[in-house]
Amino acid sequence: MDRSARVWRLLITAIMVVLAIAWLLPAVWVLVTSLKLTENIVRVPPEWIPWPATLAHYGEVLFSSSRTARIGRAFLNSTVVSLGSVAVVVLTSAMAAYPLARMRFRGRDAIFALLVGSLMIPNAVVLVPQYVLVQRLGWLSTYQGLIVPEAAMTFAFGVFLLRQFFLTIPSELEDAARIDGADPWQIFTRIVLPLSQPVLGALAIFAFRSAWNDFLWPLIAVNKPDMFPLPVALALLRGAYAAESYGPIMAGAVLSALPLLIVFLVANRRIVEGVRVSALKG
Amino acid sequence: MRDATPRLTRRRFLEGAALGATTVTLGARRASAQAKPTITYWNGLTGADGKIMDELIDQFTRETGIRMEQQRIVWADLYAKLQVAVPADEGPDLALIHTVEVPHFASDGILEPMADATTSAKGFKAEDYLPSTWQGGMYQGKRYSIALDVPQHLLYISTKVLKEAGLAGADGKPKIPGTRDELLAMAKQITKGDTYGFSIGTTNPGRYTWGFHNLLWQNGANVYAADLKKSGLGEPSALEVAEFWSAIQNQHKVAPPANANCRDAFIAGKLGFWIAGSWNFTGLREAKVEFVAAPVPKIFKQATVWTMPHQFTFPKKKAVDAAKRDAAWAHIRWMSDHVAEWTLKAGQVSALRKPHSDPRITGDPVFRVLLGQAAQWQSGQPTPKWVAAENLTRPVIENVYIGQKPAAAAMGDLARQINALPD
Amino acid sequence: MRRRGAFTPYLFLAPGLVLFALFRVYPLLEGLWLSFTNARLGRAERVFVGTANYARLFDDTRFQLSLVNTAYYTIASTVPILAVPLLLAVALNRGVALRTFLRGAFFFPFTLSVVTVGLTWLWLLDPVIGPSTYYLRAAGVPVRSWLADPATAMWAIILTTVWWVTGYYLVIYLAGLQDIPRELYEAAAIDGAGGWRSFWSITMPLLRPVFLFVLVTHVIGSFQIFGQVFVLTNGGPGDATRTVVQHLYETAFQNFFHFGSASAMAWVLFVIILAFSLLQFRLLRGHTQY
Repeated sequence: MDRSARVWRLLITAIMVVLAIAWLLPAVWVLVTSLKLTENIVRVPPEWIPWPATLAHYGEVLFSSSRTARIGRAFLNSTVVSLGSVAVVVLTSAMAAYPLARMRFRGRDAIFALLVGSLMIPNAVVLVPQYVLVQRLGWLSTYQGLIVPEAAMTFAFGVFLLRQFFLTIPSELEDAARIDGADPWQIFTRIVLPLSQPVLGALAIFAFRSAWNDFLWPLIAVNKPDMFPLPVALALLRGAYAAESYGPIMAGAVLSALPLLIVFLVANRRIVEGVRVSALKG
Repeated sequence: MRDATPRLTRRRFLEGAALGATTVTLGARRASAQAKPTITYWNGLTGADGKIMDELIDQFTRETGIRMEQQRIVWADLYAKLQVAVPADEGPDLALIHTVEVPHFASDGILEPMADATTSAKGFKAEDYLPSTWQGGMYQGKRYSIALDVPQHLLYISTKVLKEAGLAGADGKPKIPGTRDELLAMAKQITKGDTYGFSIGTTNPGRYTWGFHNLLWQNGANVYAADLKKSGLGEPSALEVAEFWSAIQNQHKVAPPANANCRDAFIAGKLGFWIAGSWNFTGLREAKVEFVAAPVPKIFKQATVWTMPHQFTFPKKKAVDAAKRDAAWAHIRWMSDHVAEWTLKAGQVSALRKPHSDPRITGDPVFRVLLGQAAQWQSGQPTPKWVAAENLTRPVIENVYIGQKPAAAAMGDLARQINALPD
Repeated sequence: MRRRGAFTPYLFLAPGLVLFALFRVYPLLEGLWLSFTNARLGRAERVFVGTANYARLFDDTRFQLSLVNTAYYTIASTVPILAVPLLLAVALNRGVALRTFLRGAFFFPFTLSVVTVGLTWLWLLDPVIGPSTYYLRAAGVPVRSWLADPATAMWAIILTTVWWVTGYYLVIYLAGLQDIPRELYEAAAIDGAGGWRSFWSITMPLLRPVFLFVLVTHVIGSFQIFGQVFVLTNGGPGDATRTVVQHLYETAFQNFFHFGSASAMAWVLFVIILAFSLLQFRLLRGHTQY
């Protein structure tokens, strides 16, 4: 019994490892290309080992003689905007999800329905009215002009997700606190939020990724080149009329993926726990 | 200081006046030095071209003191952004766009017309330019732009592929086809396995409208009839072109699949004859590809060459800042005076005639070919519906290319769609 | 005390709702209003045209085709995108070694941007120089261009999407699976139930809430698919993979910048997704607490 179980486990592991390696091949292709000399990039038969290897493309993307080709500043912008957006989303979503899960009041179901409904509208159509609004606020080419709309885009999803989780928290804890004389804000901050760390972490990660990779909104909302976030800056590596320079493009792609990967590895446990609890009990 | 009442003697007065005058003059000079504005400039020169433009702009700033805040955006996105930003008065002081975009932007009020008096005062004259590029900036009798350079088509021939197919001369130089039949015959000899004989387009040859337009013009056809009101794609001359478009894939079978990356195929030595844009050749040299440049072959009645000049233009502003406008003109003037540098480094032939006799340029075989085609240059029709018509054309010619739809039906359908475009 | 209580929910909701009202509701309503006008990007004058934009959609064959394509994509992609991560999660959950490496490997594609994913797969699948083409040809398989064939283009896009998002859904499923008590499986094993049997009678039912969460998220997302289609095929070959959002985007930001028309399309799409979602909710009533 034991041996067959062990053999079975080994077999599955082997299959999974092979699958995982195959799964990574396209990503490996990106990495390998970023390290090849330009004249070796487009070759048939395909070459998987970059030899001779070069860091020239990374150098080009980070330290190019052309100011506008460097992505260092764009990295900073993306980080500020993404972290800012996460902060705003997590705060506002949590505060909004709590009463929707726990309190009874006029308009509760209508508000929730409105939020969920808004998830179904494609962003493209909101872009232009949003642009006019942001311009009137004087927020074009500013960090807040990026952070606030990005947060607004993820807000409804955040409320949806968090409300799920809040519904699963045993109400006894909150009732007990209420009897002890705690007001709603204290219950929220001292009981509900600490218990929700996993799902808050999960929301943070998804909000981060959403803000990190958004291209369309920053494209029209930013007019100063040194305020561009990463996706817009990386688009400039692409040649005009499809004459692509794969080396810098792939180097830029690798660099751009790193923060997200780090965030994933660090918060891996948190996501697993967080999503599990909310999705399960929903 | 000690005197409560300073006595104004003539001397003192003169001294004071002199001091005052000096101060005023110094102040004015400082003010005018400070008055060099910074202008914003949008263009679509991403990738390698962008770096070269950056160098030139830096040189411009060093020589004139005018700073330029450049925003580079991929062409398609640039036009969307212009359309959103200019009406909101957030547009740039100067923009570089394609000739075919001028009519619809002009008719939408996105661009400002350039008065003839100003244009000639700044030193821009018709005789300095090639006619097709000078005319390209006009729409309904008004000038909206000044041309910078002329991206165009040429025929790239892969030395390696032709040698392997036995189509190179004793000196190792590939044979250059003169007629359509020669081209097809050689292409058929080349095509075997994963190697293809002939293709038009950088990527996605199936929907490469620029190539399709090039062939249309060679056959005397065009997207619109001469009156620019009805589509000319239902004409027999257009149909012939559509049938050829289908034939190279389905009948002669010398062309790669509709979504192949022809540029990569050429670089990898899997494509023999490649009609594509002149903007590719600097990249080919960087990738160390062995190739020969030749003029676009005469596949139909004339050896017409498709071009799409880049044009300098002034997006509309609610209130025009005179200093900034002058600075923008100064840039156009400077770039035009230094366009030979742009040509040499970015590989884009100038719209101005003068650099064409620059020995550095005529010494390069590729430039010789490009310049030699000047008499055959043609560009898109000056109608605001050109771009929309082009967008409609893409999926239709792709269907023809893959053999999904017969040429006659497709062209008829496309002509109907184009005629249905609202004004 | 009671009066204070009456305002409390609204105080909690206030920051988020202000954000939402200003940056979502207002632009959405403006979009709705614009759908009844002939608004064009770049033109200040707008004329009320009633339902003309909506009526024109009945004649817009490309819009209808894009709806069909989008529905086709949604339905065709549902099984692969829901099943593949599930199978991987079940395998991973059985207690394989190297869990973190495996989870990271499958998740990694999700960190890449849509353009990187598109460019990479365009290259991999290129019919002339793509590695996949090369290896298949070497193996003697007849070569075809999946992305240039109307019959297979959508499936190539689905394949790319599966590669891209599986890691995300895998993590969600894993979390759900880990919450199922091991004792249930052990008890079933004692009763003689095999792996497959316990999967269907234990795993699936207990995983239902997660499954539905994934399903709803996927459906809403699929209806709005744009990025990878745009990069991989630009809606081609012909219009075979043209999706609604691409049609909408081109209408608003290219061609004639018909913003009014585009808004009308968005609201039609909204109604359709809403109908689908209500259908899903109704089917699951009693099983989940949405």
